Amino acid sequence: MRNNSLHILCMMGLCSLLFSCVSTRNFSTNYYYLHEKSLTDIEQSYKTLYEQKPFSVGFSDRSFNEISLEIITDSIKLIYEFGIREPRLQDTLNKYGLPASAVTDLINQMRAIRCIWINSLDYYSNNQKRSLVYLSIKPAAFTIPFTIEKYYILTFYSQPQYFDSDGRLLATRRQRKLRKINDDVFHRINDKVCYTVSERFR
Amino acid sequence: MFILLLGCLPATASVRKDTTPLSNSQQAIAFIEKQAEQLSPSNYWPNVNPVIFLQNLRDNVEAPLNIHEGLNTNFCAYAAMSYLPLHFDPLGYVSFMIKLYRDGKALYGKEYFEPSREVRLAAGTLSFKGELDIRPADQLWFLSLADHFKGYLNLFDKHYNAGDENRLWASVNFTKFNRMIRRLFNFSVSAVGSDLFRPGIRDIYEYLHERLRTGTVGLFVNNMDLYKKNHTHLRIGIPTHFIILVDIEEVDDKIAITYWDYGFRTRQLLSEKFLKQLIFGIAHIKVKKADEK
Repeated sequence: MRNNSLHILCMMGLCSLLFSCVSTRNFSTNYYYLHEKSLTDIEQSYKTLYEQKPFSVGFSDRSFNEISLEIITDSIKLIYEFGIREPRLQDTLNKYGLPASAVTDLINQMRAIRCIWINSLDYYSNNQKRSLVYLSIKPAAFTIPFTIEKYYILTFYSQPQYFDSDGRLLATRRQRKLRKINDDVFHRINDKVCYTVSERFR
Repeated sequence: MFILLLGCLPATASVRKDTTPLSNSQQAIAFIEKQAEQLSPSNYWPNVNPVIFLQNLRDNVEAPLNIHEGLNTNFCAYAAMSYLPLHFDPLGYVSFMIKLYRDGKALYGKEYFEPSREVRLAAGTLSFKGELDIRPADQLWFLSLADHFKGYLNLFDKHYNAGDENRLWASVNFTKFNRMIRRLFNFSVSAVGSDLFRPGIRDIYEYLHERLRTGTVGLFVNNMDLYKKNHTHLRIGIPTHFIILVDIEEVDDKIAITYWDYGFRTRQLLSEKFLKQLIFGIAHIKVKKADEK
């Protein structure tokens, strides 16, 4: 009887482990195509808003009800925490010259696809400063309690990128060195969009 | 009387000697300009161009808050403590850097640096670290510090291999952070807290406010808490990040902290409970003056 319980427990553990691995892999490959329009809309509206005032925004809780807003001025970065329906959010956006309705739309779009963080990240290619849009998604898939959760990361570039035969992002056309972003190797979705699965969301 | 005098003299002399060296940015810039025509490419640092090296030093002196530890490196402690020489003794910092570049070895405070060959070859080649990619002098500085100072976290990875800037080789525990400041810049450092346990201060606002009034404050914080908030079930409660506290004020029932890291100042509003949860170590760093005992 005791042996049977042990076997059942082991089988359950093994199944949940297999389930989590499979769901993560499928998630990585299919997610972008399933949500391509939403993701492209989010990226485009973020870029437009960022040009008006540099900022980044994300959700700071598991239920996607609280946001963390980072507004970047010339001399300081200001970090605010709000509930998504708090009026203070609109006031703060207005104060820093960000169109409140457009940012709220962006936040709602992000919430709909479980996107927990959007940011503009600077990087250097041949000593030239460039920037990419960095987007983190928290998979809805089941995760084993007390394990480190992984995030699905998408990076959007302004220029087409170079990849090796395995579809891994390269530093430059000439250099066959892998380009790492936040110490992660990225994979091709198309010429300007890459993905990885990471333990870090930002 | 004679005995009394004899007893006093060495004590006075040692107090005078044991002061924090101070200089200003004009002296440092003048020194850099003097070197500009003489500094040739170094055989010790083959991947660091002397012109870009000096420009990087000049940028650091002119805008000390711009120094950047790089994305995803373990250089945050080295960047945080760079706040001190760049604000209090930039001449000492540039003199050391230029000597280290030219001769491959140099003395800073009580420490003699002679970086390993691997480190000398790596400086100037670090990439995918954001702003640090184009700052070879900062790469040289951080790598030399990590190569020279060792704490218990570095026991199993003492020698530099490519990519070690992101690994335990470069990591810094709280005691090592305080030791580096004392040995290099001769500041007086009084520290509370540790690598595992929080300092247990009842009124954290009053404590930090008072220390900020009388010196520079370095904080050892849990980076996961600072940035991750509440996404995951599993949250590891250990500190991994060093920041410099620039300002603290009470705003309604919250505490607004302004801190410096990643080449930028950040202002964040936190509850007292969250602030206490965040902080594992507080280093109160004071200039040693001749008239102080």
